[in-house]
This record gives sequence, C-alpha cells and structure tokens, in this order.
Amino acid sequence: MSITPIKAFTEHDTTSLTDDKKEQKYVHDVYQAIAPHFSQTRYKPWPVVEQFLNSLDIGSIGADIGCGNGKYLGINKNIYMVGSDRSSKLIEISVSRGHEGIICDALNLPFRSECFDFVISIAVIHHFTTFERRLAAIKELFRIARPGSYILIYVWALEQSNEARRKFDKEQQDVFVPWVIPADKNNQDKKEIIYNRYYHLFKKGELDELIESTGIAQIVKTDYDKDNWYVIARKEGSENEIDKKCCDC
Amino acid sequence: MRLVVHNMLQCHVKGCDSNNFPLRLFDVELEIHEIEFNPQFLQSLLPKLDWNAFISTANQIGITSLPQALPEEIDEDFLKNLHRILFETHIMQGKMVCSNCSHEYPIKEGIPNMLLNEEEAEEEAEVEAEVETEAEED
Repeated sequence: MSITPIKAFTEHDTTSLTDDKKEQKYVHDVYQAIAPHFSQTRYKPWPVVEQFLNSLDIGSIGADIGCGNGKYLGINKNIYMVGSDRSSKLIEISVSRGHEGIICDALNLPFRSECFDFVISIAVIHHFTTFERRLAAIKELFRIARPGSYILIYVWALEQSNEARRKFDKEQQDVFVPWVIPADKNNQDKKEIIYNRYYHLFKKGELDELIESTGIAQIVKTDYDKDNWYVIARKEGSENEIDKKCCDC
Repeated sequence: MRLVVHNMLQCHVKGCDSNNFPLRLFDVELEIHEIEFNPQFLQSLLPKLDWNAFISTANQIGITSLPQALPEEIDEDFLKNLHRILFETHIMQGKMVCSNCSHEYPIKEGIPNMLLNEEEAEEEAEVEAEVETEAEED
C-alpha cells in the first residue's frame, strides 16, 4: 500500500481563516465526517496508557479529554472516567458503548477546577494550530486536575521511528495528514475520499517545555512511544489540600 | 449522563465564574441501566462528591431518598441506594441551566452538549475533501 503524501499546512490557502476556524475546518469538521471509519481503526489501547490507568487507586475519578470513540474509558473497572470530545459523532459512538461522554471544547472545559484525580489527553494537543492554543489546552487539563494528581499527555512526534508508516520533513512541523476513506468496491458512486487533517508535529522536548511553562506541574516521566512523545506530569500541591478544598465547598 | 458526572460540571461561559455550579436540571427524562454494585469503589469515591450539590440536584429530579448530610456511619443499604442514584440513573433528555447567567446546555440521547455555540455540533458541516480515483488506500 502506498501512503498518501503529507502536505505542508502552508501549501493550502488558510491565511484568511482565524485559528479557531482553521481548527473547525481542518480538525473538527474532518472528525465529524470520518468518525465511523476512524472509530473502526481505533480499538487497540496503547500499553503505556493502559498501564497508567491500571495504576490508579480504586474510586479514582478522571477525565479523558479528546476521548474519540472512548477506547480508554472502560480499561479499569475500579475507576470512573468521563470522556469529552469536540466531535459529537465520536461521542455518540463512545456513549453507545456504555461510556460517559460530553461534547465540549478542550480550550474551555466545562468541569469544576481540581475535581479529577487524574486526566489523560491522548493525541489531541497536536491538533491546535498555535503555541498559545496548545499551551491554553494544557493549562485546562491541569486546571481540572486536583493538586498532587497525575496527567498523561500524548502528542505526535516529528521524529518518526524506522517502522513508522509516515515520514515527516524535519523542517515542517505544521502539516496536513490525510485521512483516506477507501472507495466502495460494490458501489461505483462511492469513490475514495481524502480528508486533510491539521497536525502540529512535536519536536523532542517541545511538549516538556509547554508543560514546564505552565509553572504548575512537574514532569515525572517523558518518553517516546508509538511515534509519539508523551509526558506524565504531576500537578503541584499536596494531597492534604484536597481535604481542605472539600471542606470549603 | 449520570449524576456523578453532573457533579463535576459547571457553567463555563466567559466571565461566569460565581454561582455557576451546580447546573440546574429541567425537563429531564430518566432511565435506569443496571450495572454491578462495587461497595469499595463507591466508598472511595464518596469524599470526592460535592454532597450538597448532589442532594439539591437529586431533589430537582424527584429523588428524595438521600440524607441532607453525608451520614457518619455508612452501611450497605445506603451504598446500594447511592449506587442506584449515582451510577444507574441516566439523564437521557433535558437541559442544564446556569443559576448565574441562565445559559442552557441541552442533554440529548444521554449526551450533554457543553459547546457554547450549540449549533456548531448540530450542523452537518461542509467538509473540504478531495475525491480521487487513482490514489491507493492509506
């Protein structure tokens, strides 16, 4: 199988669009359109994420921001997870599988501050088109996590392993990665469709810098896995502060 | 949407940052979906709830079998009742309204739509796509 080539984001005329409209057109609308096909290909949990979820205490409540079809929401039966996604079509798939799902925007989460024992966001932050928006999204993840809790974030890497299907131009971090819905062999009217999804490909250390610049979390682990960079960060503050918070509210 | 999740939600309209929790429920349709009872899980989860918000919300939708204050002695009957209300009761339809700014968030088919511009999620967007016949599958 050949791979549809990656295009530089700048090759398309996007200059007339504001950042949120770019994301609307090249991320949200695309996921709405490809949701069923995308979901069919997203069933295998990544082991690092699985291990993270299985390490949590019984009775933990957490959020998966950008949960897609909800493949991580049922991993650990002793914790409770709510998934959120900007795509109503993906949330419908997740909820139809018995998971908890909310349609919302990762830049403006509808959750109380510090109400979660952990937060994950897997392959989501790379869809924001500017540094400021990526930082704002990460700050939101930390805002809803309680002090002392752990946050796991995955983003796609510019540096791809030798086994990777895709190779990226080292100079080009903002790209369109095509999503191809194959033609229906039994229906001539259903031709192959290619959707352009926007990605910001992270360089080594870039995710770490974003997290450090929030000033409210320490990096516990940083590594490369499945052609992605990931970080486990701990939000500053002690467990005892939670008890205090609970009494105040 | 289960009540446990409602307990985490707040209004997030720009500038609406006081009296924005809990969101008040209206016109709700409930369904019960039974799941396995796990007392240890429930007990560990209890301190994380905002109990006052939970009680006032339960009352709004006609559930009055819970004590106003979290009891000091927690027995199995209490946990079973809690399990039913928190984890088996689903709000399938209705809306959530902010007490401060009156913003409404709809709940449809069990899914709350918390996008501030609700129409965005409803529209069938015109998506830019290239239809090609030559290229092979990715």
